[in-house]
Amino acid sequence: MNRALAWINNIEIEIVQGETILQAARRLGEEIPTLCYSPGLAPEGGCRLCLVEVGRSPRLAGACHTPIQHGMEITTHTPRLESLRREILTLYLEVDEQREFPTDTRDSEFGRLLEHYGLRPKSNPCAQADERSNRTHTYLRFDPDLCISCRRCLNACEQIQGQFVYGIASRGPSTHLIIGPGERFDESACVACGACVDQCPTLALTDRDRMNGKPAERVTQSVCGYCGVGCRVEVESAGNRVLRIRGVPGAAVNRGHLCVKGRYAHNYHHSPDRLTTPLKRVGSDWIPISWDEAIHFAAERLQQVRDQHGPNALGGLASSRSTNEAAYLLQKLFRTQIGTNNVDCCARVCHSSTALALQIVTGTGAASVSFADIESARCIVLAGSNATEAHPVVGARLKQAVLKGAKLIVIDPRRVELAEYADHHLQVRPGGNVPLFNAMAKVMVDEGLIDSAYLQERVESVSEFREFLRAVSLETAAEQSGVEPAKIVAAARLIGNLRPALFVTGLGLSELTQGTASVMTMANIAMLTGSIGRPGAGMMPLRGQNNVQGAADMGTMPTQVTGYQSLRDPQVRNRLTQVWGSAPPEEAGITIPEMLDAAARGDLHALWVQGEDIAHSDPNEAHVIKALTNLDFLMVQEMFFSETAKYAHLILPAAGALEQEGTFTNGERRIQRVRPAVEPPGESRADWTVIRDVGIALGAEWHYDEPAAVMKEIARVAPHLFGGVDYASMGPDGVQWPCPEPGHTGSTRVHEDGFVRGKGRLVTIAYAASPEQCSTEFPFVLVTGRVLEHYNVGSMTRRTAQCELVGEDFLEIHPDDASAIGIAAGDFVELESRRDRAKARVRLSQRMTPGTLFLAFHFPESHTNRLTSSYTDPQSKCPEYKITAVRLQPATAVPLE
Amino acid sequence: MAANSSIIADFEGQPPSSATRWPARNSMGAERRYRETHHAKGSGLSHLQELISAGEGTEPAEVRRLAGEMQIPEATLRGVLSFYTDFERKSTATRVCQGTSCKLAGSSALGASLRSNHECHDTYCLGYCHRSPAVLSSEGELFTGNDARALANGTFSGIHAEDDSTPLRCLAREPIVLRNVLKGHVRDLAAARAQGVYEALAKALRGTPQELLDTVEQSGQRGRGGAGFLTGAKWRSCANAPGQPRYVAVNGDEGDPGSFVDRVLMEDDPHSVIEGLILCAYAVGASEGVIFIRSEYPRANAVMRQAVAEAYENGILGKSVLGSDLALEVSVRTGMGSYVCGEETAMLNAIEGWRGEVRIRPPFPAHAGLNGKPTVVNNVETLVNIPYIAERGADKYSAFGTARSKGTKVFSLNHGFARPGLVEVEFGLTLLEVMEEAGQGAGGQRLEAVILGGPMGSILLPQEWGVQVCYGRMGEAGIQLGHGGLVAIPEGADFRALLEHWLEFMMEESCGKCVPCRLGSKRAWRLLHQEAPTGRLQKLNRLFDLMEAGSLCAFGQSMPRPMRKLVEKFGDRIFAPGGRL
Repeated sequence: MNRALAWINNIEIEIVQGETILQAARRLGEEIPTLCYSPGLAPEGGCRLCLVEVGRSPRLAGACHTPIQHGMEITTHTPRLESLRREILTLYLEVDEQREFPTDTRDSEFGRLLEHYGLRPKSNPCAQADERSNRTHTYLRFDPDLCISCRRCLNACEQIQGQFVYGIASRGPSTHLIIGPGERFDESACVACGACVDQCPTLALTDRDRMNGKPAERVTQSVCGYCGVGCRVEVESAGNRVLRIRGVPGAAVNRGHLCVKGRYAHNYHHSPDRLTTPLKRVGSDWIPISWDEAIHFAAERLQQVRDQHGPNALGGLASSRSTNEAAYLLQKLFRTQIGTNNVDCCARVCHSSTALALQIVTGTGAASVSFADIESARCIVLAGSNATEAHPVVGARLKQAVLKGAKLIVIDPRRVELAEYADHHLQVRPGGNVPLFNAMAKVMVDEGLIDSAYLQERVESVSEFREFLRAVSLETAAEQSGVEPAKIVAAARLIGNLRPALFVTGLGLSELTQGTASVMTMANIAMLTGSIGRPGAGMMPLRGQNNVQGAADMGTMPTQVTGYQSLRDPQVRNRLTQVWGSAPPEEAGITIPEMLDAAARGDLHALWVQGEDIAHSDPNEAHVIKALTNLDFLMVQEMFFSETAKYAHLILPAAGALEQEGTFTNGERRIQRVRPAVEPPGESRADWTVIRDVGIALGAEWHYDEPAAVMKEIARVAPHLFGGVDYASMGPDGVQWPCPEPGHTGSTRVHEDGFVRGKGRLVTIAYAASPEQCSTEFPFVLVTGRVLEHYNVGSMTRRTAQCELVGEDFLEIHPDDASAIGIAAGDFVELESRRDRAKARVRLSQRMTPGTLFLAFHFPESHTNRLTSSYTDPQSKCPEYKITAVRLQPATAVPLE
Repeated sequence: MAANSSIIADFEGQPPSSATRWPARNSMGAERRYRETHHAKGSGLSHLQELISAGEGTEPAEVRRLAGEMQIPEATLRGVLSFYTDFERKSTATRVCQGTSCKLAGSSALGASLRSNHECHDTYCLGYCHRSPAVLSSEGELFTGNDARALANGTFSGIHAEDDSTPLRCLAREPIVLRNVLKGHVRDLAAARAQGVYEALAKALRGTPQELLDTVEQSGQRGRGGAGFLTGAKWRSCANAPGQPRYVAVNGDEGDPGSFVDRVLMEDDPHSVIEGLILCAYAVGASEGVIFIRSEYPRANAVMRQAVAEAYENGILGKSVLGSDLALEVSVRTGMGSYVCGEETAMLNAIEGWRGEVRIRPPFPAHAGLNGKPTVVNNVETLVNIPYIAERGADKYSAFGTARSKGTKVFSLNHGFARPGLVEVEFGLTLLEVMEEAGQGAGGQRLEAVILGGPMGSILLPQEWGVQVCYGRMGEAGIQLGHGGLVAIPEGADFRALLEHWLEFMMEESCGKCVPCRLGSKRAWRLLHQEAPTGRLQKLNRLFDLMEAGSLCAFGQSMPRPMRKLVEKFGDRIFAPGGRL
């Protein structure tokens, strides 16, 4: 076939299918002016600045929306076109006598266009600009007088975030932009992602934090320090302060998009209560000490405990917010310098069930797919995840996929935002996943909605599984899961018919005593539908913290060493001996809950907690505090004086996400470079250097000058996953492991050519109810979790203006439940579980089913984890945060002790 | 308004193969899926109409409630409510027609005096141009001519709406469009059947859809909406497009102020409209039909609804059309007061319940129309031709007219002619012949000009009246046939008022999607009222250039044409130093 050609300003161009004239022209470097078009958004075709001449036709074509076609001869800047463009721009300036644009508009696209065409607005009303503008939001400001109704904000809101905040009102010359139900951002569905601000060509929409802002001295590309999505950020800074953050355009993970936390909530870095010097506890006082003293004190105390009680009397918790390099060094330190496998990370208390389950049935615990598979998925199953709040950028991508036609099934006890967008919402009872998935599997098998060839080729235990399903009863499953049979059948059919499907999961599957069982029974469905290892399908657990994937990858797990390698494998031990000089003990160490139990019993004597506020975040607060107070030596690396730090003997001030170098690994196995945008305050230091120095003080011969050197060693220790990972060869979007050798470009998916473990495994698991059950005494089920505006224990977000958006943890309750016990919105209630009490303000919510409650744990004063139990999944040891039986009673606003 | 023209009409007929794939997010796709996933009940404007009464839905709490019921985003809902005049204003108010014909008959003054006693608002247009001025009372009673003028005295009582029949004539060898109407009202099914309605359908159903498609294609019939696009080609394009279900949308919101043939056809020959719709559905494989009728035609709405109900009751619509395998569901939807909704893509948005804004093309409705699915949009007059073609054959039909314009065209003559009403003529006749048949100016008044095809058409001076009625010839002369409305402009008319009327009309009705139309109209209006006249003419012409070349749809592109000519030919009377500057 001949090449399809067109000409733009007499330059020949080969046509790309589906491309518009404007896109083709940009490819050639021919700039066509426009105000309403923006790459990545569907063409609006409204401003008409991009009109071009096509051949000799007197009719002009809108370049932004006219597909370029073979044989077109396009001219973009004839005198006629230029004069039309000047006329259009004049319209904005002259149509409304009242309207005044600032004369100095060079900062905006619109201003630059005016300047280019020699046009100047009449006067400068900047003085009043702030008064007339809509400032109904902490971060966003809208000045209607500057708005030219180009609709890019509206399109961005719909097509990037999917929030539908904006509308267009009226018609004719009075056509104008409107916001939400009544012109207030804070009453609208706005989630302050800022996508609209990035689009606005006139500065009608701006970030309040960047108005009259200082110019940046430095722009640093790094990775967001919040959730496990791992958005790439561009950090503007001046005078060692972070000024503003925006998404890196074209970044693989976020394509320029961010969420409210990533974009705006960065001021915690400059919080006055940052820890800036090492602190040693003397009696009830804290004494600042020098780093030298701190390092030696740490080494000395660790050694003493080891000498006195043996290596297994010590434990280390790696931070999932710190770098891979820090996590790697911490586990190496414990394994080589202390001589114990007692290292763990907070993955234990979140996705350990998911990782373990997937490792058992597929061979690897990580996501089998990339986020990019969201866009190619035909059917998405979202289970136990409130993605739009907890992983907002992935949540937005999911919503966009659905709005473009992908089918969505949401499995969640709460009517989370994405449930509104679901074709089916299965409002499962907390802990009811296993019978639900088994019943869905039964429907698929019975109705032949399975991929038989895939099963035969790639999966084992198929006949046992079929046998097991015979005994599964839809009615019983419906009773146990709380989802009516018709809904189970409908959802199973939709998935089965559209197979393969993408399974996106969150902590709602993992943080249960049936956590691993929930994930494995879901994996059954994924295998029946031939989903794992296929494009646009597979397993996508959404990882919680920025580097929780990396922390586990690096080996901060008591059972496996770096790269999920067996502690007993002779080959691995050989390699470790070569690289490390010694191999770790063969015997597995203990997990976080086990360490806390041991400490409470008096069997664990020293704990090194790196950037983890376990006194706030771990379940059964009283038990945790008992364990911490029992320790002979607790050292904490922290940015702030956390709940856990209160019990420490030594506190080491840590650098924040924007203050250090290294790598983070996101939830799609993508290792990305992190670079310091500002210096850490005072004497606070990057974790990896502190761990290195303690290691050296303990006698290690470590010579790491920079994090890159640590990564080189990681590549040698776990070559099957990281052999080709190297700072020097890493592109801006990093690399997705497995990346087994130099020159390897990384893996967007795993299990593509068969499962890592050989064959995938179907597992037969019968339902076992949680030990924590409601009773007449404790009639409500409490689910704990997170909200959009805050992040985990809130140590970062609570130190930003996020608190203006949400300033406390609310108890979400169905209005019927609330009225039954006589409480109204805004009232305080006391929650009491079998363990302890907590207090929170009530928010009535139709998202809840009657009988189920939701409470976040972002604010320490809520003491949410006083309520939660010590029950854990028997295999993964993941705590059951998602089920706590409680009772409620009206209370006063006085906080609990 | 004219349905088919588009700024890229040059590429029409050969939509790129990628048109259905790209851009994926165009044409309200996300909003549709939003409603689908939110399990929204009811559809579109009709549902919204049921939910609210005028004036409601402006408080945030009320918006929230309604948005929840409609399952559309809050701001989107506010946008919809504020777009349509009928939502904005009380539907119980009296409507005073301000179409060009009524304007010339003094409707401005009438409206002003009515307003002092009644709740009323202006509208474009009620479709009674042959008896201007026209007023529609809140009870749906129609007053025209002297009766309407009498309302200015302040009371509606004692005045009875006169007989509303429309004078009809046929200059063609044989009436095609008016074939049934000329025989009197054929509103009910029995009367329609007596005239042979649905016989063409019965015959076509015995053949294949392909045969019907071939016949329509061979007939050379062109859409009567204005652009004169070949009906058969449009149908073929839809029939070949992938996607299910397919739709036929009948544009009953067409008709420029000045044209009222569609109103008469819907009111007096509704079953022929339905028959044309069914034939189209059969040919293109559509399973749903929607008849969209402007709210300014309450009687057409009532009659069409009645006719559709009758057709269902008698097995003409529904699961088995006339006992055949063809299943077709048809509904009637009423507009909510927006002139631009006569533009086909704006109409599709209105049917779906969105703002009646124009969509960018491609994709064309034949590929991605109603609900993003392949859709044929035909206007009423076009469809009424179809049964004739299906029954008599392509050759018989194409024997009428000229080489490039087959068949007949119905002209709507306004009250300014001695013999107003509808006149069906064969293509090929001259405009002068049509006007002579109408007896020239009413009351022997000399005509200075005529407006052909409404405000988006052409203003024609006597020396141009010799032009042949033919899409080809008229196109060459830069004349828009439009929907065939003819408004007589008597000698001494106030051209300044006419120009202001058109600009006000444009400001009032522009959908707001594209800048030249949205802001150009207002800027022109301001220029006209600006004190210093320096360079005004030049500025006006530059604006007209911009609107013509730059607007997204036929509304903005075509409105400036007659205005430009008005300024060019009668500038001295518009800007006269001693005149009403």
